[in-house]
Amino acid sequence: MLELQQLAVRAHHPEPSKSPYTFCDINKTIEQAERIALIGASGQGKSTLLRTISLLNMPDEGDMMFDGAAFREMGPRNWRKQICYVAQQAIMLPGCVEDNLTVSSRLHGRSFDRKLAEELLQTAGLSGLDLNKNARDLSGGEMQRVALIRALLLRPKVLLLDEITASLDTVNTKAVEQLLATWHANEGTTMLWVTHELEQVTRTCERVWFMAGNTIMEDSPPAAFFAMPLTAAGQIFIGHHVQEEVQP
Amino acid sequence: MTMISLSFTLLFILATMIISFWQKLGLEKEIAIGTIRSALQLLFIGYVLQYIFQTNNIWFLLVIITIMIAVASWNAAKRGKGMRGIIWRIAFSITAMEIVMMAVLLGLHLIQPTPQYIIPLSGMTVGSAMIVAGLFVNQLKREVISSKGEIEALLSLGATAGQALHEVRKRAVKFSMIPTIDGMKTVGLVQLPGMMTGMIVAGAEPVEAVRYQILIVFSFTGSAAITSILLSALCYKLVFTEFLQLKTFNESR
Repeated sequence: MLELQQLAVRAHHPEPSKSPYTFCDINKTIEQAERIALIGASGQGKSTLLRTISLLNMPDEGDMMFDGAAFREMGPRNWRKQICYVAQQAIMLPGCVEDNLTVSSRLHGRSFDRKLAEELLQTAGLSGLDLNKNARDLSGGEMQRVALIRALLLRPKVLLLDEITASLDTVNTKAVEQLLATWHANEGTTMLWVTHELEQVTRTCERVWFMAGNTIMEDSPPAAFFAMPLTAAGQIFIGHHVQEEVQP
Repeated sequence: MTMISLSFTLLFILATMIISFWQKLGLEKEIAIGTIRSALQLLFIGYVLQYIFQTNNIWFLLVIITIMIAVASWNAAKRGKGMRGIIWRIAFSITAMEIVMMAVLLGLHLIQPTPQYIIPLSGMTVGSAMIVAGLFVNQLKREVISSKGEIEALLSLGATAGQALHEVRKRAVKFSMIPTIDGMKTVGLVQLPGMMTGMIVAGAEPVEAVRYQILIVFSFTGSAAITSILLSALCYKLVFTEFLQLKTFNESR
């Protein structure tokens, strides 16, 4: 469904040939309805990879195909309608909550599915939210959930989730996980999820990509990866996390 | 005013330079260059205008207006570093504004079709449009930097360049027109405009001078709106790459 072929992005440098790779050699195929967790230490290019797949950043090398069509053929708009990126920092657009929820229907001239929006708000624990409230007055947790619902209402085939629960408390995190699990069960949306919470990986995903050394070093089911990473980098990464959890 | 009496005004410059030297402001060189440049430029244009008024040749008129637009576009385009082709878009916007303004002013017989009216009015409206264009381009870049998250949120949802930049464009247009609108609100109360003052000093009736000043103020507002809106329509795509990604701009003043 989504193929990444020899994908590489370089960090900015005045002389392009001297630019180091942010990541390189990404060769992966993602099937429909797969849920993949993208993990690894900070600075490995996880967010940049998501932004590149959503075409917010341009790949320096390689190609990406969606349902057999290369991104250059599809064009950025059609590509992003199918493959939607949700940022770590939820940004509310000017206007009220409803303005934010109706944005994708307004952008694409579709009718707004109010019933679906209300169901999603309810699943996300936002049923009591005043839709006429200025969206920028919401709490961080509310904004993140509204931003996610705004993306879901676009009904993309692939969701790219960039640490969307990083700034949320446990209750809100569970609400977001529940929302995404329900959505996945109903719609079969593919999800690529950057997270630092390893427990979340086992709760929400069927496949793990571990990034180290500027590429995806391991690709396995969560149980196998957490039981015994195949690479030394993977073992060190798991070791650090176990230590962090043991230390108060 | 004789040249000798005019030269006495250099006392103002001398005083400024003494203060700068005394206070160690280091502005003496800048003041000296500025003094010489402004005096030479104004005397030069004075003689040029005198010649053009006497010959009354339309080609001279067109050359002068073209130079005005070229210099104004070049100056405003300095604010748009990193935006390829911005100078042509600014030049087009200012030219279109100039054509519309002159068509209205001459078509409705608000001014006489002589260089004496056309050149000063063009100079003032083109100058005002230059400031508006520079402010717009500068603010557009700033807004793109500060509203990156908002623009990318819209792009992520499949927005076109126009949809993603709609609010930012509106804010930049509004910003670029603030000085013109503020000037319009306070004209006559805070400052007496240069042209009106000049006419009064030269012996015109104050009410006659005011009439022309009202014409200028209204023309400025029209020219600001035309330039800014046209420019925003012409150049918003310049902040995106071919694949609808935001270009990176450096924060500049």
